[in-house]
Amino acid sequence: MAVRQGELRPAVMQRVRTQPLLRYATGAFALTSFGIIFLMLLFLLAYAFPAIRFNGTAFFTSPIWNIGNQYGSATVTRAGFTAQAGASFGSLVFVSGTLLSSFLAMIAAVPLSLLVALAIVYRVPASLKPLANAVVELMAGVPSVIYGLWGMIVLVPFIGNRLSPTGSGDGLLAATLILALMVVPIMVATTRDVVQAQQASIYEASMALGSTSWQAVTRAVLPSVRSGIAGSVLLAFGRALGETMAVLMVCGAAINTLPHGIFSPINTIAAVIVSQLESALTDASGMAQRSLGELALALFVITLIVNAVARIVLHGGDRSGAIG
Amino acid sequence: MLARRFAVALGLSVALASCSPAAGTVRLLETGSTLIYPLMNLWVAAYQGEHVDVEITTQSTGSGTGISQAIAGVAQIGASDAYMPDAAMREHPMLNVPLAISAQVIAYNLPGLGGVHLHLSGPLLAAIYGGRLAYWDDQRILAENAALRGRLPHRAIVPIRRSDGSGDTFIFTQYLSETTPSWRSGPGFGTTVSWPASGTVGANGNPGVLQTCEDAPYSIAYVGISFMDQVNGAHLGYAALRNRAGAYVLPTTPAIAAAAAALVSRTPRDERISLIDAPGAGSYPIINYEYAIVNPHQPTLQIERALAGFLEWTLSTRGGQRPVFLNAVHFIALPPVVARLSRDQVARITSP
Repeated sequence: MAVRQGELRPAVMQRVRTQPLLRYATGAFALTSFGIIFLMLLFLLAYAFPAIRFNGTAFFTSPIWNIGNQYGSATVTRAGFTAQAGASFGSLVFVSGTLLSSFLAMIAAVPLSLLVALAIVYRVPASLKPLANAVVELMAGVPSVIYGLWGMIVLVPFIGNRLSPTGSGDGLLAATLILALMVVPIMVATTRDVVQAQQASIYEASMALGSTSWQAVTRAVLPSVRSGIAGSVLLAFGRALGETMAVLMVCGAAINTLPHGIFSPINTIAAVIVSQLESALTDASGMAQRSLGELALALFVITLIVNAVARIVLHGGDRSGAIG
Repeated sequence: MLARRFAVALGLSVALASCSPAAGTVRLLETGSTLIYPLMNLWVAAYQGEHVDVEITTQSTGSGTGISQAIAGVAQIGASDAYMPDAAMREHPMLNVPLAISAQVIAYNLPGLGGVHLHLSGPLLAAIYGGRLAYWDDQRILAENAALRGRLPHRAIVPIRRSDGSGDTFIFTQYLSETTPSWRSGPGFGTTVSWPASGTVGANGNPGVLQTCEDAPYSIAYVGISFMDQVNGAHLGYAALRNRAGAYVLPTTPAIAAAAAALVSRTPRDERISLIDAPGAGSYPIINYEYAIVNPHQPTLQIERALAGFLEWTLSTRGGQRPVFLNAVHFIALPPVVARLSRDQVARITSP
């Protein structure tokens, strides 16, 4: 009897149904993970609420991030909440930097990852396959701080001296390249798994019909794993959105200025939360910290959406090729 | 068998856990300003050599972190180039104790200038960091540097600022605020300011600023004077700044001492005062007190004694105020009247 992915065999399901302890325990643990996400969301909402009211819609449209004059005594009150005079918190620079750097990183990384994955599955000799797989998994496991360190010491001076018209290498290009480097191993690993799980019969059938190897891959195999690849791209995109340390070290920590070119300094939500946290703690009114919380909430929501879409896409197109 | 293995493991972990310093050693944490960090390391190394019962850890994290960690009670000494603002003092009445007088230099990466010091002023720097002055050969720079006509390149200036909560940002923006009305009413001064949109690059800590300045040709940066040797070693130039009297002064020890002499008499009892833009023809305009932000209420008598002991040693002319320490970082010693005020503040540290 055909079994759909994710379900247990009927005989096993029967046993689970008659053991209430097992049912309730596993049910409780399943709820816990959902509960944690929900509680985090609630916490962020509660913590950022004063900032949400104080900043209003200007939070999404303004590029200015100003914690206000800490060394004066004047304050400003909006919607019942107070901050130091001059305070204005706008996330446009950070949201645009996050989306821009992640999007460009995916543009750079997706073709490369696809080709590497296909090379590993179809071209690498069987004796070298374990080595290739190990290298890919190793790259995926390298902590992001190490990529950031390499970027800071090697990539940024290279961009500054050879490529950038201004002489400064910190900026959008450096951040994009580092992010691309980081997501390539993840995407190669998932794409390779998805393509390998694909039944060899599709490839062989295509070859038997007279197509070249390239045609078999691009016209027969890839279309059938489209959803798997799309899902892995979206998951990698979600990872790139939240990347903190590596980007922090090479982005140029832009403030109040939107990027106007590939060499402009940028800032991302995750990087600005880290770099501005201690400064925010000097704000006597506390509004700066709350606004950082609002930024964190924005990133949380963006990442949740991207991951949710990825889940739907991954499970929506289940073409394992099983027949009956 | 299992029980025996468990007992061995337990015994080993107890033995490891008790490999901590002998009972009676007090651990203090100093964190904060990257400007004073080199001096703190010299002080702590010397102090611990004489006092084996105190273990002091130093960290270079930025003045903003120093202040907040001292307030939070995580660090016993929060080193900061910036004194705390009134609003923060009302909420958290901490002691702002000056330990030394330091200064700041404006460094730049201009290949080919060959040891000639650029003349810069507050309004010029405000224009550069405000995005209104883009090129090194701008007429406004040449107006103050007639001798360099033809030697300044037509290249874009890359202004480097601090991205973390920084005491160096505090004193630099105070200099800009004192000299340029548009900056005072605009970004103002603080450990963090809202930098005008101008393509400035942010770096983390004084070492980060130095590295970025080294790597980016045609850049300009504000750096603590304790990093002067590295500035010279990296073949970066540093500027002569225009002071209140209109003279262009290099950050030499006599110039710093002249500025200090002009202003220290105005130091109030809580010692929170800016020493920026001092009067006098020979005064260097960017000097400041290096503060230890300390909570007057410490949790135990042991910590209070260790903390007060260390701070008093740093304030003593036979201890931390000796030239062997201060000259290495190009600081100057506290004048006796200020050292006395600092010692008075240290005496206010208590424990339950």
